[in-house]
Amino acid sequence: MQLLYITLALFLLVNLAAGMWRVLRGPGVADRMLAAQLFGTTAVAILLLLAEAAGSNALRDAALVFALLAAVTAVAFVKRAWSMQEERDVD
Amino acid sequence: MEAIDIALGLFDLLLVFLLLWLAWLVMSSEDLFKAIVLFVAFGLLMALVWVRLEAPDIALAEAAIGAGLTGALLMAALDRLNAVKPMPAAAVVTSAKREQPSLPSKVLPLVALVLIVLGLGYALLSLPDVADGLVPNVKEQMAQSGVKNPVTAVLLNFRGYDTLLEMVVLLLALLSVWSLGGVRKLSPRNTNPVLASLCRVLVPVLILVSCYLLWVGADAPGGAFQAGSVLGAAGVLLLLSGWHVEQKILLWPLRFILVLGSGVFIIIAAVLFFTQGGLLTYPVAQAGWLILLLESAATLSIGATLAALFFGGIPKSRVDQ
Repeated sequence: MQLLYITLALFLLVNLAAGMWRVLRGPGVADRMLAAQLFGTTAVAILLLLAEAAGSNALRDAALVFALLAAVTAVAFVKRAWSMQEERDVD
Repeated sequence: MEAIDIALGLFDLLLVFLLLWLAWLVMSSEDLFKAIVLFVAFGLLMALVWVRLEAPDIALAEAAIGAGLTGALLMAALDRLNAVKPMPAAAVVTSAKREQPSLPSKVLPLVALVLIVLGLGYALLSLPDVADGLVPNVKEQMAQSGVKNPVTAVLLNFRGYDTLLEMVVLLLALLSVWSLGGVRKLSPRNTNPVLASLCRVLVPVLILVSCYLLWVGADAPGGAFQAGSVLGAAGVLLLLSGWHVEQKILLWPLRFILVLGSGVFIIIAAVLFFTQGGLLTYPVAQAGWLILLLESAATLSIGATLAALFFGGIPKSRVDQ
């Protein structure tokens, strides 16, 4: 069972590496931000898998904190950087 | 068993490769927004690295600060930078490129870098292969610490003055931001119903998780810094949603909370110095609740400081202007 958890975590990490392409290519700021949000979700899944594999509750706490704070980053992006960058992209 | 080792080995290799690649991309990115997104991703991977190094305490702190709050803080900074300097990024980059750096300014950083690499390499190679470090000492003293989590015992008891000084560092960081000037206006009132309902759900959950992390810190990874940054995130979310704060709260009550952590620390240290004969040498029977008291005060201060840092300047009352 442990092997399954670790293999799945590895698969998710490969997914994350693939997502790097979208962050680098863009082209818009929203594409980059959404890729970063996807990274956050993937990291939560990886943490939960590692928590199952290691039987560690602390990792579940870390996953919880990740999941909660990813939303704050997204809101900060929409409220502060989005309007500014949109204007710049139009220019 | 072997298949697990291979899978873990591949996981670690990919993690290290991604981390170094991201670090390079963050440094070399000309687009500041892209650099911020990459830095948030870097924080996520760094947390995974701490998990693999079996340091769940640091993973939790990295999750709260590195991947969560830093992104919001950096984006607020970028926003203000754009407001100060409304030049398009491309023009800034090309004008910087045209100026050829002089020879010393090229060579000196290189020399400094080589020296740092040599120093770090020497330090790494001179380490013993296997070392217990301070683990046996800490284990020996755990019964007297008042808590069950060795990291909390070290941070709040055995080396409590480190944490005291860190609280003062946070306060100094905020003071230096405040010394740069005031913020003209609070963010406009939120009219977006999605954000409003998100806040109604998320802010109470963040506060609850913050209390949980503070409480669990006595027995398991957690504690004031993690709890404080989650509380700070709740404050950031409220500020982003245009939460209206009474001007009179922004003056003395806010400042009281900001210095509460350092203040309680210093008072307890002084009292213990005169009654116990040493800074922060808790009596064994009272150690548990004294640590909880210190951590609660520190959590409030850290949360308020981080939210105030996100606000980006001393909140000015309308009368002042």
